[in-house]
Amino acid sequence: MIYRVRHRTTYKYERTSTYARCVFRLQPENSDRQTVSQHAVTTSPRASSAIQRSGPFGEATLTVVIEEPHKTMVVEANSIVEVHSRAIDPGRPSDAWETIRTQSLSVESIEPTSPAAFLYPSVRVPIADPITDYGRESFAPGRPIVDAASELMRRLHDDFTFDPEATKVSTPAADAFGARRGVCQDFAHIMISALRGLGLPAAYVSGYLRTRPVDGRRDLTGSDASHAWVNVWCGREWGWVGFDPTNAVYAQDDHIVLAIGRDYSDVAPIDGILMSPGDQAIKVEVDVIPSPELASQRPSYARAAPISAAS
Amino acid sequence: MAAETTSAHRERPALDPGAAARLSGWLRSYRPMPGIPDELFGADRRPRDNWLALLGGVAEFAEEEFNTRFAMATRHIRDTGVSYRVYGEEHERLWPLNSLPLVLSETEWSEIAAGVEQRARLMEALLQDIYGEASLLDEGALPAAALTGSPDFLRSMRGVKPRGGRYLQIYAADLGRGPDGRWWVLDDRAQGPSGAGYALENRLVLSRAFPMLYNSMNVQRLAPFFDQLRQGLAAAADRADPRICLLTPGPFSETYFEQAHLARYLGFLLVEGADLVVSDAKAYVRTIAGLKRADVILRRVDADFIDPLELNSRSRLGTPGLLEAVRSGGVSVLNMPGSGVLESKALLGFLPKLCRRLLDEELRMPNTATWWCGQTAERELVERHLDTVAIAPAFQGLGPDGVSTRPRLMSDLTDEQRGAFMRHWADRPGDYVGQEVVRLSTTPTLRDGQLAPAPFVLRVYAAATPDGIKIMPGGFCRTSEREDVRAISMGADVRTTDVWVIGDRPVERVTLLGGQDQVKVRRITGHLPSRAADNLFWLGRYLERAEATLRLVRSLCTSLMDSEAALHASGETLSKLQEILIDWGALDEEDPGDSASQATNRALLHRDTFGSVISLVRAARRTASSLRERLSADFWTLLTSLESRLENSSDALQSEAEALQCVEASLQTLAALAGLSQENMNRGAGWRFLDMGRRIERGINTCGFVRRLAGGTATIDDLDLLLDLVDTQITYRSRYLEGLALTPVRDIVMLDTLNTRSVGFQVLALKSHLESLPNLVEDGMPEAPLRIITPLAAEIATEEAEDLTEAKVFELEGELMNVSSAIEDRYFLQGANAVPTVKLAGLA
Repeated sequence: MIYRVRHRTTYKYERTSTYARCVFRLQPENSDRQTVSQHAVTTSPRASSAIQRSGPFGEATLTVVIEEPHKTMVVEANSIVEVHSRAIDPGRPSDAWETIRTQSLSVESIEPTSPAAFLYPSVRVPIADPITDYGRESFAPGRPIVDAASELMRRLHDDFTFDPEATKVSTPAADAFGARRGVCQDFAHIMISALRGLGLPAAYVSGYLRTRPVDGRRDLTGSDASHAWVNVWCGREWGWVGFDPTNAVYAQDDHIVLAIGRDYSDVAPIDGILMSPGDQAIKVEVDVIPSPELASQRPSYARAAPISAAS
Repeated sequence: MAAETTSAHRERPALDPGAAARLSGWLRSYRPMPGIPDELFGADRRPRDNWLALLGGVAEFAEEEFNTRFAMATRHIRDTGVSYRVYGEEHERLWPLNSLPLVLSETEWSEIAAGVEQRARLMEALLQDIYGEASLLDEGALPAAALTGSPDFLRSMRGVKPRGGRYLQIYAADLGRGPDGRWWVLDDRAQGPSGAGYALENRLVLSRAFPMLYNSMNVQRLAPFFDQLRQGLAAAADRADPRICLLTPGPFSETYFEQAHLARYLGFLLVEGADLVVSDAKAYVRTIAGLKRADVILRRVDADFIDPLELNSRSRLGTPGLLEAVRSGGVSVLNMPGSGVLESKALLGFLPKLCRRLLDEELRMPNTATWWCGQTAERELVERHLDTVAIAPAFQGLGPDGVSTRPRLMSDLTDEQRGAFMRHWADRPGDYVGQEVVRLSTTPTLRDGQLAPAPFVLRVYAAATPDGIKIMPGGFCRTSEREDVRAISMGADVRTTDVWVIGDRPVERVTLLGGQDQVKVRRITGHLPSRAADNLFWLGRYLERAEATLRLVRSLCTSLMDSEAALHASGETLSKLQEILIDWGALDEEDPGDSASQATNRALLHRDTFGSVISLVRAARRTASSLRERLSADFWTLLTSLESRLENSSDALQSEAEALQCVEASLQTLAALAGLSQENMNRGAGWRFLDMGRRIERGINTCGFVRRLAGGTATIDDLDLLLDLVDTQITYRSRYLEGLALTPVRDIVMLDTLNTRSVGFQVLALKSHLESLPNLVEDGMPEAPLRIITPLAAEIATEEAEDLTEAKVFELEGELMNVSSAIEDRYFLQGANAVPTVKLAGLA
């Protein structure tokens, strides 16, 4: 499936900002599961310097400095990405989860794709007894990892309410867990916390979701902003498998990967500091248009999300 | 350190009978703990020579004299040195000092030094591999998960070559002497080892307290090590004469004074994250002359906090973009961010093997036997011995079970803690190491005239220099007061001890004249950082404000005591005084005190009002504490003594006479401070900012007094009070025999530029300061502060006293405030135009 992605973020400040230094992680990942054929980022005002490089987890980053005084900053990324179909067959056998736990402690690779990188608590994903215990219910001794993780994903989807009003970007995972509601970021953080609590490697994936139903497929929750889900390392055979607890589906060709990290703070699409006294407001518009519409329809920014309404 | 010689050969004259008795008494009653090595008694149960020499020397002093000497030296250093703590805080010093040093022979030391030197090389090689090729991991010599658990494993630093080629500038090892008498490494310190400043201070105390003893014992000097450290840092720069900064977390750090002391001792610029700015992938210091390159940064801020953009976004201690500058070689940050990974206990068990692999050498000094439980065999071993090994978190930070960050014995845990531990242990064994339980050796300390053994840990420092790794001959030693000598219970009741490495031969004369030809003559010591300028300016303002408030209080006091004036006690003048004190925040408007005498007390000592004298002096001291490396010891001592006088007087002033005495004494101290800054500070930009703060404050205050006391309806009492407040009585009386009259008073207080207290004098002084300060752009145009002060000076020069209406005075006062704002905007970080950096918020 080929997608055209537009990701436009507008910051409005109460007072003029004279300086901003930002990191963008807006270029979709190039990997064996997807190919980026076009990508461009524009900012308004224009950046006085821009450095492109690869971030700690292999993600493409663009560091920009804006020195022109401004009260509104617009960042727009346009990409064309082909996601190669990758059907996940949950019936295929996988290792017992305890085996995965032992294996991941002894892996040699320290590269960003190594499970060793995603074993430990991180800034946004502490390990918390209640969350670990919630997860443990799906992990009976000897149960195959894919099977157990799938059940955990479904339970999260069933037990938790998707509610953009319930949490903010800074809400700790434990609070969202206690409230049993949140957005995709919370779903992902909770699932990661549960898995790591059990000693299993789990990564946070930031990306996009197909916006519109195609071929009779249902519309997915959280598609009007950037999305997040979880990668679980399922052993040497399976490798990393994407689980989307917000929708209780595997990340297959409806999911476009932007960046992978330990939690949101590693992969926030836009991160930065600016010099500006006063409040700020943010508006995010994301449009993900599958290829059948690519030629025929002009993209539009149909749905504008208010500040906390990310998925 | 001063040049000193020691006697060519060590003579040990026979002790006098009293001393001999003391010595033998100590030795008789000294009881090392059974089965534990002790520094005084060797394996042969006989006292070691160096210790006999030391104790013999100490025994020469009567107990009282010894204590007095030690106490005086300690107090002097405490008043001026690195250990000053905020008055009234619980701990006066982080680690109180023992009166006896730890004494080590040169032979023993050479073994320690060789062990630490090798370990520093090993650590450097380890970092080079981890952040470079990672061949150790590929070969399976080190599991990836033994690294990734450390919050200081900075993935973003992989593949980054440190400018200057080295990761570690300063490394330290915590050592203990094991049961077999050998030295063991307990912990590695690679983030930004603290304590070297304390070691310097400890040396200063003991060498001052017992100079003869110190000189007679061939104690190796510390100064050369610090020189080598400086050279090592300079070598990491890419230009000659580099600007080296010491990056501090700021005055709230518990070791801030140590950092300030080190910066001053080493001649480095002490900076906080906000003092630095990254531009074009280079780091710069904000100074009053604009941005100046920072070549090398010795950091005492944990890596996670140094760059809020790339690392911990909640950090307020860092500089956005600093890692980008490190990556592109625009600045050297040492130790290299990411070095802290070496402090993980998970690594300890791998080191013997890694040493052979990386250095092709056997590890000279063993570390505590440690098993990382992420490995199956090791986990099973620890599990079998769970009752006898200590369990510790494998990585820095709070233990995964939230219980403890230090090694603990299972038997020391409560049932609940043990339950929590067992659960986490089963799920996440990689979060733990098992460690052999270490019993520390002991060293003698003198307590209440008795010699008693105390368990200790010795921190030894290594610095990288172009000529290889150098070891500080001495160290930072901590002793525990507890009888329980297990290493794992160290932490509370800790004291520190100087470390004397005793040479066999006399110590070489330390000369500071070396390399004289290379020293370039310079008169200005670099550009003044904006933060320092800001603090100096406000220090000046606070001191002047405190002085003015004291004068107000003094007038209040004397008018109460003066029987004639007491008639006026309910009069206009007195209520004007009270009004001013309320306006200035020295008195609470709601509750100014029932009587004038109560008001006096409050304006002086009330802690809850921001304008009381005590509050102002505290503010001055707080400001000055951020300037420790720039103020003389005398200045600091005077200021802290002023603060303690007021603190001690709190609630204790019964009568006006007592209050007056306190006011007079305080004014004298302030006069001494003013004198010190006039006579003892060199005329660099720093002095100008201190003086400008004083001038601005005095100008504004005087305008305020004139408006209230020299308006159209002013009485003789008002004018008299005004002259008191601006300290111009004598000048006026000698000039005008006719007595008080409005116009001459206005002239002498506002316009007379010969009167050092007049507004006109302040304006001229300000103008001259501003003219001397550097311009940002050399276009010949005056900068904003000068554009305001120049017409003001002209106005003062041409104004006539008759025309000085209240409105006019008010206008001049406003102009002075504008000058102040313009100075803040132009030179400081925190000026009105400076805006806080904030994070972009929201899910993008």
